[in-house]
Amino acid sequence: MNNRPVLEAKDLKVAYGGNLALDLPHLAVRERELVGVVGANGAGKSTLVNGLVGWSRGTPKISGKVLLDGRDISGLPTHERVRSGLLLIPEGKLVFTQMTVEENLSSTSDETDLGQGRRRYSTDEVYGLFPRLHERRHHLGSQLSGGERQMLGIARALRLGPRALLLDEPSIGLAPRLVSTVLDTVRSLVDSGLTVLLVEQNVRAAIEVVDRLVLLERGRIIAEGPAADMRDDPRIAEAYLGAHVA
Amino acid sequence: MSHGMKTILLAILAVLGFFVPMILGGSGAVYAACVLIAIFAVMSYGLDMIVSDLGEVSLAHTVFFAVGAYTTALLSASAGFGPLLSLAGALLMALLVAALLGLVTLQLREFVFSLVTYAVAVVAATVAQNWSFLGGSDGLRGIPAFEISLLGFSARNDRELWPVAYLLLLAAIYVVSSFRRSRLGQAAMMVHLNPRLAVTSGVDPQRTRLQVFLLSAPITASAGWLYAYQRAYISADVLETYFLILMLTAVVVVGRRLLLGPLVGVTLILVQEKFFSFGGYVDKIILGSVLILTLSFLPSGLVGIFAPLRTLFARRQAPLGKPIPERS
Amino acid sequence: MNLTQQLVNGIVLGHAYALIAIGWTVLLGVARLVNFGHGQMYMLGAFVTWYGVSRLGLPYIVSIPFAMLAGVAVGFIMQRVMLRLTLKQDLVSIMIVTLGFGYVLHGAAALTFGSTGQILETPLSTQDIYWGDLWFTYQDIAIVIVAILFFAALKYTIDRTRIGRLARMVAEDPQLAALAGINVKRVYFGVFAFEGAAVALAAALVAPRTPILTSMGFDEVIVTFVVVVLGGIGSVTGSYLAGLALGLFTAFFGAFVSPAYATAAAFAVLIAVLVVRPGGLAVSPGGR
Ligand SMILES: Nc1ncnc2c1ncn2[C@@H]1O[C@H](COP(=O)(O)OP(=O)(O)O)[C@@H](O)[C@H]1O
Ligand SMILES: [Mg+2]
Repeated sequence: MNNRPVLEAKDLKVAYGGNLALDLPHLAVRERELVGVVGANGAGKSTLVNGLVGWSRGTPKISGKVLLDGRDISGLPTHERVRSGLLLIPEGKLVFTQMTVEENLSSTSDETDLGQGRRRYSTDEVYGLFPRLHERRHHLGSQLSGGERQMLGIARALRLGPRALLLDEPSIGLAPRLVSTVLDTVRSLVDSGLTVLLVEQNVRAAIEVVDRLVLLERGRIIAEGPAADMRDDPRIAEAYLGAHVA
Repeated sequence: MSHGMKTILLAILAVLGFFVPMILGGSGAVYAACVLIAIFAVMSYGLDMIVSDLGEVSLAHTVFFAVGAYTTALLSASAGFGPLLSLAGALLMALLVAALLGLVTLQLREFVFSLVTYAVAVVAATVAQNWSFLGGSDGLRGIPAFEISLLGFSARNDRELWPVAYLLLLAAIYVVSSFRRSRLGQAAMMVHLNPRLAVTSGVDPQRTRLQVFLLSAPITASAGWLYAYQRAYISADVLETYFLILMLTAVVVVGRRLLLGPLVGVTLILVQEKFFSFGGYVDKIILGSVLILTLSFLPSGLVGIFAPLRTLFARRQAPLGKPIPERS
Repeated sequence: MNLTQQLVNGIVLGHAYALIAIGWTVLLGVARLVNFGHGQMYMLGAFVTWYGVSRLGLPYIVSIPFAMLAGVAVGFIMQRVMLRLTLKQDLVSIMIVTLGFGYVLHGAAALTFGSTGQILETPLSTQDIYWGDLWFTYQDIAIVIVAILFFAALKYTIDRTRIGRLARMVAEDPQLAALAGINVKRVYFGVFAFEGAAVALAAALVAPRTPILTSMGFDEVIVTFVVVVLGGIGSVTGSYLAGLALGLFTAFFGAFVSPAYATAAAFAVLIAVLVVRPGGLAVSPGGR
């Protein structure tokens, strides 16, 4: 494993109105690493991944640096960060519901030279990865189940040639059996060369697949370490328990 | 500033305002400009309530202006009514038209609402140009001078009409400011800024919209009433886009929901047109550009530039447009 | 005045209306934007074509793209000025701003072209065709053919091409489109440029039917509203059918009731539809 970070954030701060929702002095994801971000509801997990691509459905103020392969991309608008290989599969609405699966997977960019470490998956490849999508290729996005939408979201990102993938709670609302299927797919993508930052509320499921875990609470990292060491970290239980009490 | 102090200050301001044309030399041109400013300001105050408080854009307010003017022309010239009776008639007609329009557009929002109101204005212009009852393209002539025999008052020129115009202006400002403090005014703001909250706190958005509409139309119509007397004849050009653009610009240029905003706005525009004109077409370009630039680059109006001054005029600033609900 | 002649008039008028409205349809369907200056952009298109033909002596066929370029320029400037409002989707302000642009265009056109009426004469508009007791001009035929080709090409572009797909993605969800690497601003610019070009094309073809004045444009706006609303907001096919229906309605109403009130009558139809089904006006993203 190469130790140079593919994705790095420095002093990333995101504020909604006067509310500082994220204060992140440093975060790095290395080549072929799967880093999990966990934390209670409202801890700032979505704010973190959204902030990395400079994106939001609200109107936050974002400051700080984001580096992709050492290149500062924090001055770029979202669509250009996406084009340079930083792909976010957001929480909530993540597919075009009025388009067919096939159209969702059609290319939105015609660049051919993606640069080092990036590869655009072909339609056949993503269908191979998610046979279910192939079966439903003529269905509209709105007709898909939650699990299928997650697959489509991931598949769409792969079609754009990701350098690093940011996944926001892909398991939300899925049946337990599906949760592990989706997470296993993510793991296998990492094993085949991708770099992924995975947001999960479901710590138990996440800890089985990630290399490293980052624990967020109220917009700050309160614990960080290899998955194996974090398994029994009391702070994880506390963070979640705290949220339940509050 | 205490409430009492503020009232006294406003009263002094109101009295002083009356002497403005005299202070400015008292020439015929000054009086003419002042009377027109008062009339157009009243016209704009009607729209101000819809745009600033309700957060919708009615493009049909020229129609209310025209309804006021035409009703006055018909009643005074043909039926021989005096100014007070024609005012009553004008207000009544405006209420009728507003009720009709309000009911038809009750379900419509945002651009569909504006689209329909705009279409109403365009169609009204066609009708006014073609309907012989309204004088067709010649318009209606022979509106008598403004005379209230009961009071022994008669106004044959702008100088003599000024007290009437000024009184009408004060009345309009009073109505708007009372409206903003009233339950209806609060309800309108709530419907504008947070429709969901409005519903849960027992405000009926459609009823509120209709009520504000019904309050606003007569204000604009009363301006039409005086305009008919001031001009002595009325034709379809009261439905020209000029009046619409003038109203909209006056409402937004200084800053929304400022009590004196529309008055100052109209004053700026008319002073430019009457005393610093570059010819009709260039004036058009100027007026339109002011409107465009204000909305595009100065969302809180001219007072936005002079932020410190804003505390003097202090009032909550509300966004004009509502965010569009997310599409699913 | 025979029925078949009115049918012919209606069909020509219908294609003219559809063509006049198409820019708005796409604007609304793809970008959820409105343009109350549409009528004045039509007026400008007519005058630029006229200027090309009768002042610069350009051939008609060259004047058309010339007018379309002017339309693109105006659309581009409008969008540039309104960009902040567009990205905020502040429709209410956008409406007023576009109304202001229409007003400025009127002033500027009157300043440039004068306020007297002109006749936009083209090689096609002066050639009459008599067919039995039917009468029309080559210009009428051109309107119908161009409208059909234009709509077919547009429908194909939106449904089948990459550009069309990008536009539909932006229409459905601009934020998600940005995450798909789409430059949303550019799509907005493109859509407004299309609006400018389309309305100028419509003007260049349709305006020769009647004298042109810098104060015109209001009837065209009403026609556009009616077509866009009746056709189902944002629907290309719907706009075509609605345009045709409105054209036939106007022709027959004008012939049998009163030509002066034809626009008013069309508007009455719109009101009736709005009252009957106010909810049926949802924007259909993608402008299909
Ligand atoms: N669009 C928004 N506007 C205002 N506040 C927001 C918005 N999105 C998130 N927040 C706030 O930011 C904090 C973090 O939210 P989020 O990142 O969504 O949490 P998580 O994804 O961990 O559940 C929360 O306190 C939330 O209220
Ligand atoms: Mg979240």
